[in-house]
Amino acid sequence: MPYELIAILMFSSMMLMLMTGQRVFGAIGAVGAIAAMALWGTGGFNIPFSSAMKLMKWYPLLTLPMFIFMGYILSESKIADDLYKMFHVWMGPIRGGLAIGTIGLMVLVSAMNGLSVAGMAIGATIALPELLRRGYDKRMVTGVVQAGSSLGILVPPSVVLVLYAMIARQPVGQLWLAGVVPGLVMAAMFVLYIVIRCRLQPELGPALPEDERNIPLAEKLRLLRAGVLPVAIFAAMMVPFVNGWTSLVESSAIGAMAAFTAAILKGRMTKAVLEVSVRQTLAISCMFMWIILAALSFGAVFDGLGAVKAIDHLFTNQLGLDPWMILVLMQLSFLLMGTFLDDTAMLVIVAPLYVPLVHALGFDLVWYGILYTITTQIAYMTPPFGYNLFLTRAMAPPEITLRDIYGSIFPFVCVMLLALSLIMVFPEIALWLPNYVYGK
Amino acid sequence: MPNFIKTYVRVVDAVNYRLGRIIMYGIFVMVGILLWSSISKTFFLPSLWTLEIAQFAMVTYYILGGPYSVQLGANVRMDLFYGNWSDRKKASFDAFTVLFLIFYLGVLLYGGIDSTTYSFKYSERSPTAWRPVMWPIKVIMCTGILLMLLQSISELIKDIAKIKGLKL
Repeated sequence: MPYELIAILMFSSMMLMLMTGQRVFGAIGAVGAIAAMALWGTGGFNIPFSSAMKLMKWYPLLTLPMFIFMGYILSESKIADDLYKMFHVWMGPIRGGLAIGTIGLMVLVSAMNGLSVAGMAIGATIALPELLRRGYDKRMVTGVVQAGSSLGILVPPSVVLVLYAMIARQPVGQLWLAGVVPGLVMAAMFVLYIVIRCRLQPELGPALPEDERNIPLAEKLRLLRAGVLPVAIFAAMMVPFVNGWTSLVESSAIGAMAAFTAAILKGRMTKAVLEVSVRQTLAISCMFMWIILAALSFGAVFDGLGAVKAIDHLFTNQLGLDPWMILVLMQLSFLLMGTFLDDTAMLVIVAPLYVPLVHALGFDLVWYGILYTITTQIAYMTPPFGYNLFLTRAMAPPEITLRDIYGSIFPFVCVMLLALSLIMVFPEIALWLPNYVYGK
Repeated sequence: MPNFIKTYVRVVDAVNYRLGRIIMYGIFVMVGILLWSSISKTFFLPSLWTLEIAQFAMVTYYILGGPYSVQLGANVRMDLFYGNWSDRKKASFDAFTVLFLIFYLGVLLYGGIDSTTYSFKYSERSPTAWRPVMWPIKVIMCTGILLMLLQSISELIKDIAKIKGLKL
């Protein structure tokens, strides 16, 4: 049987298995194991376990439980409430200011953790009810929270980029730095959208009434202190890392410790918070690790087939496509898949297939990592199967229906697509910072 | 359901639950190791052993914690169709597809035992400066995979009970 055919067979049987709703790691792992045995007989028996050993050797993976833990502490202990108050008072007087403030809040939360869940939880439980009470349009603010929280995986520290780094064999540090400017650019574009929208339709985001604006300056300045916490946690993580005193993994442990200490000092580390954060960290870490484990054995078989070379050959030589055209096509198919594939599944299935192809086409893999992350962000949010959509439903106030949630994301997805194309056309947006720091 | 099957499900679930409840605090062990690593690196001589001990801790954490995460229902499924099915239909599909999961875990365990016996026979050491022996971590991994296998079988039994409308 030709290798292309085996590759297609493997891929389609995996999709079929996934459709049955079995646990993702079981579906991927079983197809990998069966293919390995069919191809290499008893020699194939050892492939799944040797992937487990490979996984152990991959040191940066230790950051995963650390950042998940950090995220849960932040969202469970609610140490970020004051942050919202700060933005509320400072941004409130402007039209649409609270929505802009929420984006700011999301950027700060993103800088303290690597998943979008924490931002989602903080946005949906703290910011959303306030915004609704102030008469903000519910569709717009639901979109704001969803789009804002998705920045969590682009702004460092980012768990998605850690996983990408493993698959693409690229340095995590460079990828994280590459995420900084695009993350900020995207946040700025969200803000711009809110400003324009509220200028055209002032009823969407009314400014705070006069009597609420009269807050003494001393009080206003006191509230700024809330901003110290994220800056301190971020600095505790990043300063030793950038100066080369600690490795990335050690820094992530410092960050986890810093968040934990902050929660204790603020008197928010109750028994219930500890229980939920520790248990959820185990649950989510295991979920990720077992999927990666299974995906590695699947990937090992796939690599062994040389399937990627065959696909590359098909596109460039036989169809005569330009590398850029292939890249655009890949992003489009990626977006399409993102609308119906679970995000975690997408991460581990699509990346091993696309990343080597991108490399073979001669593109920069750090840059592609950013494109990849933004596409994942969009996929997170697009119906019918966005992870964020369901999270929002679970966490947001009851007056926000699933219809509102679906309707809310459209303009933000457009903004994100615009950002995606900007970074595609101008790779410098992503690559400038890592090149500057690492002096390429 | 025969009594021994009921006992099996009860024992496996209880053992994995207890183990998971202990393992989940392993996050603090990992934080501790890494913090010690950064402190010793900055103020004293860097320790040779921290990197590998941290890796071993991580593997122990996720392999031994795996069965408990299955109990918590943390493992994502693609819910394109699955999400809309009735509990009975979910159970009947699971009862079949979990066999694939069991097969995968079986292959994983086979490879694990193979690799562990190799480690014992040649007292394999990690090719690093610290040179730890490899068999302890491999034994932990095999134990975890075995427990995961037992947990999957327990899930299968629970699904069959659900289809037949029996109580366990």
